[in-house]
This record gives sequence, C-alpha cells and structure tokens, in this order.
Amino acid sequence: MRPPPGRQQLSREFIARHQRARIINALAEETAEKGYRAVTVADIVRRAGIARNTFYDNFSSKEDCFLATQDFAAEEALRRVREAAEPIESWQARVGAGLAAFLGYVAEEPALARACMVEALSAGPAALERYEQALQSFLPLFRIGRKVAPHGEDLPETLEETVVGGIFWIVYQRLVLGEAERIERLLPELVEFALTPYVGADAARAAAAELEGGSGAD
Amino acid sequence: MSPDPANASLEPASEYPPELSRLPPGRHGLPREFVIRNQRERLIAGLAEAVAENGYAGTTIAHITRHAAVSRRTFYEHFSSKDECFFAAYDTVMEELRERIDEAYAEHDEWPRAVSAGIEAMLAFLASEPNLARLCMVEALVAGPVVVERYDAAIQSLVPYFKAGREDCPPEVLERLSPSTEEALVGGIASLISRRIIAGKTAELESLLPDLVEFALTPYLGSTEAAKVARG
Repeated sequence: MRPPPGRQQLSREFIARHQRARIINALAEETAEKGYRAVTVADIVRRAGIARNTFYDNFSSKEDCFLATQDFAAEEALRRVREAAEPIESWQARVGAGLAAFLGYVAEEPALARACMVEALSAGPAALERYEQALQSFLPLFRIGRKVAPHGEDLPETLEETVVGGIFWIVYQRLVLGEAERIERLLPELVEFALTPYVGADAARAAAAELEGGSGAD
Repeated sequence: MSPDPANASLEPASEYPPELSRLPPGRHGLPREFVIRNQRERLIAGLAEAVAENGYAGTTIAHITRHAAVSRRTFYEHFSSKDECFFAAYDTVMEELRERIDEAYAEHDEWPRAVSAGIEAMLAFLASEPNLARLCMVEALVAGPVVVERYDAAIQSLVPYFKAGREDCPPEVLERLSPSTEEALVGGIASLISRRIIAGKTAELESLLPDLVEFALTPYLGSTEAAKVARG
C-alpha cells in the first residue's frame, strides 16, 4: 500500500521504518516468485512502490537488503516463539507453544519464510551464515529440556542441532513444495519428534496430543 | 584406500599415479575410450578441488581445467557448462556415497546395527574426502536451484534406510511414529553434517557417530536402548 496523502504529518522515523518494512516485504515476495538470483533492485522498487533512491537510502544493494530481510525475520520469529513460550510453566508445553508460534509465522508469511529458509541457502556465504545464526538462536530453547529429561546429562551433545535441523528440513521441504498454508498441521508431529529424545515417546505423545485440539486454522 | 577404479575417479587429480595424472600429448597408444573416461574423471576431480578453493560461484572453467590439467576444449567436449560439470560431479559423489552406505548397511542383519554401520560409512567417506564432502553437502546448496533439487532428492533418498526400522517395531511404536519421522531424522543428520563442514571440522565428522546413531534410533527403540546401541 502507498502511504496515504498527508503523510508529511507522520514522523520521519515512522516513515523510515515503514519504508524499510515495505522494501523487505517486496524483496521477500519477489524472491519467492522468481528466486533470489533473478530478482533485481528494479523489481523490488516496483513491487514496493517506492523510488529507486529510497531503496538506496535504506540499503546499499540487493544483497544488503536480503541480509536485512533475514535479520528481520529471524528476530521476529524468535520474538514470537519466546512470547508464546515464556508464560508457560512446563517445558514440554512451552516447546509446543513455541513451535506453534513458529509454524504460525511461516504460514502467515510464506514468502518471507521461503526467502529465509529456502532461498537463503543459495544466496551466498553471508546469507548462509545468517541462516546458521538463526538456526542456532533456537538451540538454547531446546537445551533447557535436558533439565527435565530423566537422563538429561547423558543426551548426545549435538541433540539440539539435529532436532532443530530436522524441524527446519521439514519446513524447508514443505516450502519448496508450496505447502506453507498447511504447515501448521505438522505441529503435533514436530512436537513429538522434538520431545521424544528428552522425555520419552509416551510423554512426548501426550504433549503432542494436547496440542492437536488447539492447532489448525485460527 | 580401495583399489577399485571407481574410487580412484574421486581422487583429486594431483593424487593420481604419475602415469595417469598427466597424459602425454600426442600419440600415447592408450585406447580412446580410456582417455575420454580419464578426462571426464579428472574434470570432475578438478571441479571439486576448484570449488573447495573458490566456492561454487567463484569457480571458473579455467580453474577447473587448470586443476584437471586438460585444455578448455577438452572441457567443452565433455560438458557444456560449469553447471553441467557440477551435476556430473555431484551425481558421481552421491553414487559413491550411496554404494558405501549400501555395502555397510547390508553387512548387518539387525536393523539398528545396519543403520549405525550406514551412518558410520557415510561419515568415514565424507571425512576422508573433504573436497567432495564440501561439494555435496555445502556447495550443492549454494550452487543454485537446479542443484538444490538434486540435493533435496539425495537427502530424501536416505529415508528408506530409516523407514526399514518400522518393520521390527512393536505395534504400539508403529502406531505412534508419525509419517514425517524419517524425513526429520535425515534432515537433522544432514544439517548437522553440513554445519560441521562449514565450520571447517570435516576431519572430525566421525566423532559424531554415537550422537547421530542415538538420535536416529531413539524414535524406534526409545532413548535408553538407542544409547546402548550407539555407545556400545
């Protein structure tokens, strides 16, 4: 959407933030449509409905804009996951709520998810590094599970990496297949997958079953 | 290293026996088919070396031909583009990896041992061939959409090895396992391996064996039994 007339009354900061968000959205949509490599600054500018100069006021290049997109999405994803999980007491239920928030974000912003979880892998070393950091930012949330696990101290050192890697892979596959809108259906499976190594299959299943009623369409 | 010629094809060109590494120009009396095969293999090894050095995007055909010690013209006799050479390299590496996994997996009757042996063979191969490991687990993702498709297919092709574990499961476990279990397992394993390669820890990949085996077996056997197999 273009800013309404009379935007002069809005603060400079508001406009700047809004423009940035619009450019990021435009990049995500263009990327989801054409693939990162094929996207040009002209495409982004056209889709965002802004002047070319405005793009360059905010970003130095397409690459710069892509990295900012990744940062934005990773922060927002982590914020949503934390916000959903924090008020809950039991760790199992927190994993469920956090994953629900994550999948909800993916379903809500499929283009952004595709840019950050699919295209990011082939968008160059800096983008890959960002992807890696985003994945790592989720590890501590799972690591807490070692405290509630009966044999927490014996669990494989790399468990969180394989669990998060497995979840990202499943999401990746669904995004590649263009099934983002159905991704929330996977919630019980993914919760069970993530919890089983920590609390055992039965407890994991019970936690997943509790979610099954609450998942799905909003 | 095995004397199998298929393995020799994966060696970097510089490690070829001297009589193979640089074919003398002109008449050498070698059968034409041998020369062609040798050139193709050398180009593939040359690509792996060049990509390890420069990354896929930074690799040029000149880099590849220099590492392979063949002419540019020879390159174009075999491949129409860098991408095509990469596909050939990728397919060759994956085929080799699959053979090693199959062989190790087939040596065991019990599924948990077979899976463990398969993972062990995969880690051993990748650790012993750092250039090829990088090529198929990292650069394949960076190389662009067409190769990514191949990468996805390769990772997904490992799913049946895990699915076989369902055959021995008691009904209550079978009923519990969700359809995406195997996909999540292979994705988790591949992701950890890629991350270690990116971090420059390819040589230490084999130390991941117990962790990966325990991770892979837990959904089927439970974590206590999985840990026993993994650490035993």
